[in-house]
Amino acid sequence: MSKRKIAKKTAAAFGLVLCVAGLTGCGQTASDGKIEVELVSYKPEAVAAMEKIEARFNETHDDIHLTIDSPNEAMTILKTRFIRENYPDIVGIGGDINYSNFLDAELFMDISDLDVTAQVKPAYAEMEKELEFIPQDGIYALPYVANAAGVLYNKDMFEEHGWEVPETWSEFTALCEQIESEGIQPLYLGYKDTWTCLAPWNALAVGLTPSDTCAQVNQGNTTFTDNYREVAEKTEALLEYAEPNPYAYGYNDACTAFARGESAMYTIGNYAIPQIKSVNPDINIDSFTFPANESEADNVLNSGVDLHFCVMKETQNKEAVYEVLRFLYEDETINIYLEDQGGIACKEGDFELPAELEGMRAYIEAGRMTDYQDHHYPSEMSVDAMIQTFLLDESDEAIDTFLARFDSDWIRYNRDLIWKVQQYQKEH
Amino acid sequence: MKSKMTTREKTFWAITIPVVLLFFTFNTLPMLKGFMYSFTNYRGYGDYDYVGFRNYKDLFTDLRVGKSYLFTFKYALVGTVLVNILSLIMALGLNNRIRFKSALRGIYFVPNILGGLVIGYIFSFFFTYIVPAVGNALNISWIQNSILASEKYAWIGVLIVGVWQAVATNTIIYISGLQTVPEDVYEASNLDGATKWQEFWKVTLPLVVPFLTINLVLSTKNLLMVFDQIMSLTKGGPAQSTESISYLIYRNGMDGGQFGFQSANAVIFFFVIVGITVAQLTIMNKKEEQL
Amino acid sequence: MKEEKRTNWVLTFVLILGTITVFFPLYMAFIIAFKQPSEMTNDVAGALAFPSTWSFDNFRQAMEVTDFWRSLGNSLLITIATIVIAIVIHSVAGYAIGRGMAERKSFKLIYFYIVSGMFVPFAILMMPLVKQTAQMGLGNRLGVILLYVVFYMPMNVMLYTGYLKNIPLALEEAAYIDGATTWTTYWKVIFPMMSPMHATVAILTALGTWNDVMTPLVIMSGTGINTLPLAQLNFQTQFGTNYNLAFASYILALIPILLFYIVCQKQILNGVANGAVKG
Repeated sequence: MSKRKIAKKTAAAFGLVLCVAGLTGCGQTASDGKIEVELVSYKPEAVAAMEKIEARFNETHDDIHLTIDSPNEAMTILKTRFIRENYPDIVGIGGDINYSNFLDAELFMDISDLDVTAQVKPAYAEMEKELEFIPQDGIYALPYVANAAGVLYNKDMFEEHGWEVPETWSEFTALCEQIESEGIQPLYLGYKDTWTCLAPWNALAVGLTPSDTCAQVNQGNTTFTDNYREVAEKTEALLEYAEPNPYAYGYNDACTAFARGESAMYTIGNYAIPQIKSVNPDINIDSFTFPANESEADNVLNSGVDLHFCVMKETQNKEAVYEVLRFLYEDETINIYLEDQGGIACKEGDFELPAELEGMRAYIEAGRMTDYQDHHYPSEMSVDAMIQTFLLDESDEAIDTFLARFDSDWIRYNRDLIWKVQQYQKEH
Repeated sequence: MKSKMTTREKTFWAITIPVVLLFFTFNTLPMLKGFMYSFTNYRGYGDYDYVGFRNYKDLFTDLRVGKSYLFTFKYALVGTVLVNILSLIMALGLNNRIRFKSALRGIYFVPNILGGLVIGYIFSFFFTYIVPAVGNALNISWIQNSILASEKYAWIGVLIVGVWQAVATNTIIYISGLQTVPEDVYEASNLDGATKWQEFWKVTLPLVVPFLTINLVLSTKNLLMVFDQIMSLTKGGPAQSTESISYLIYRNGMDGGQFGFQSANAVIFFFVIVGITVAQLTIMNKKEEQL
Repeated sequence: MKEEKRTNWVLTFVLILGTITVFFPLYMAFIIAFKQPSEMTNDVAGALAFPSTWSFDNFRQAMEVTDFWRSLGNSLLITIATIVIAIVIHSVAGYAIGRGMAERKSFKLIYFYIVSGMFVPFAILMMPLVKQTAQMGLGNRLGVILLYVVFYMPMNVMLYTGYLKNIPLALEEAAYIDGATTWTTYWKVIFPMMSPMHATVAILTALGTWNDVMTPLVIMSGTGINTLPLAQLNFQTQFGTNYNLAFASYILALIPILLFYIVCQKQILNGVANGAVKG
């Protein structure tokens, strides 16, 4: 290769670099004179609804410009933006441990002076409170839409065979046995993806343990061994009615199997419905609350906040942000979201319930709902994998091993938190 | 001559220093910061406290971390041997007098390009539905169930995919290594009447030893740092039997709130791999000199 | 001489047979890319049977969802820039360190220092790098390219110094006697001789950058600039994955890099044909 050629190549390389540098100049274009409000939503699947909402807001507001971003891997993006101290004004995230952690890191602003917080259904307002590691004064999240989990069932199959929706645990097992005796698979679990192990676990736990179990353990008042035995036993009991070797099949397989009528029921939440319907758009699905107890009156629906809005402490435009939140909380706006995504509105009022959640209506209207237990589990503890490990353990002491490990691992993974909580207790 | 060598050395330094600076800024500096975090309970955001050596103490008593080391080493050891044998054979084959040479090379390169989602879906499907179907047809009991669902065999499933992908990379390096063996060396050995087998051991292998070294180091490192295959195939399951070290560091450090603790894990892991590599390099350098 | 150029047909046949290990999974990917979600079943036929109709609809839709041409442009820009810079900087660094190593111990230390960078788990670097690049104004494509140049430096320096071992010093000394400086000797004599290694480095670097999700995700997030792998995340959400569109998109993304590989392979062969190594 000649020197000239090399020089050319080097020049080309530098040219490219310069060109790249030049291209990166494009940042946010400030719309003239308007206050810019940025909202990052963690639900990329809801991008269409969010775009609609964004357009509507900007049409009706001359002084504020709203940008809603629904990126993929939003949690990673949010965390990296927090590191860069490049905060959006509002974040739309789930009511789970991430929220608790962010709140604990003092990233959010108290929004108790926002009028619409009074319109939140009490059950969801309470759930939000329980997500606080240390009880906080004020309100830090505006719950928007919730999802619910229990048992989805194939309505046509149920009607065809004359099966009744069960209301107690024995009715449920009896139903499973009946379905099995007719040569049909009662349940499909898809436990290869460990997180699916948490679906029935959570749905059973809400009926069998107090909603604040994790907080009580942190305060040193109880142990998981005392609370989770029955949940573990019943989760294990489901295996008998499921596909053989459920650890071979994933969430996707389970959705496909249920959609194709290979099983009569699927212990999962309403969030799985779009995936199921993508395989079989004509399937007729309904649901029921997991009948965890022997008395219907003790059963509780597993429902948690799927999307809520939090205001970042660093925001410079509190008034504009509040205006956005008020707009988001208008019935019409909520309906745009629900039409696209389904789910349960967290606002008091008359919102349409998806047909697939009809079977849970009574619980939703009465507010007989409790949050997912796993919203309180630290994700690094991998409780889902622990449950899978327990279910795979065929020894006689499996439950004891599992519960003992749950307690000891909990203490290990939550050491700093437990210290903080107990410190707080001493002071109050 | 002597003054010439010093200007030569000056040139070397003039090249090396800026490169080292660049490397320091974007590799060593952030690593030192990560090292600092390993003494904290940092979650990745918010404030944190220094906790001294607690993270390091915890590491050595954490069963899950211990299990991940066992899995990772078993995987890397078997994998390195398989990858290097297979890719050397592949490179020799693809460098031989064959037809459709570039087409074949292109085809064998494909496993390298396929991303996580494709690999995960296809091989999960393969192990879940196709292999058991074959097992049933031929009555081979241990593959009648998905091996990815078996605590005992799941690592083999991950290994098969890992090796399948790694062979492609290492073959490329061996092929370019074989290019440095001049044709006339073969001609000479042919004249001497050496068999193919002798030719390989006496002529080819000694000349590709530097590449064997590189491939050993690279494949060991890549296999020790196994992450993509775990993410797409098993997510550490079943029963946490395939959690690799990198998987734990990433999952619990980034997704979970254990950034401080997993930084400590990463620091230890770094020294472990460096140790292994130095050992490999020392042994191989001796071999290179012998040959 | 002529006689030896005969094609080894047995070997050719064996190698063709072996391509089944590649074609079988690839076949599955193709079939899935052409199917509709409703055609996916939980049995062997689900991924092996032909789709009911062969339509390029999935490909068209996938291109729409990923904003294909724009994302492709970004991916190409980042990958090509990385390769060019890597070949220039890493080869010259490999040369300086590799030759220096033979004479001075300090170069050997530098060699080990750089090579050891290969073993730093990315997860530990990630957060400090996010902060650092943002502070330096490098939270953009340039930053990503720069990081790739640093990430692939250990492997590439190792490859170049390894290759250098088989290039005799005598060649350079001849150039010195003609009065050339080390710098010009490198570009005139050594750089061209390393072309098989340039091609190898180009392939390996391209491969890593082309498929990488993590670096652009954490470094450039919020800039609105997508690479292909970033755009492909669109097919996956927490509770659902459209495999059919995703596979169509992956197959599209596979083509440019495959073509690049075939070109580079030719380069590796040409390096020998030029007789450069024979010396």
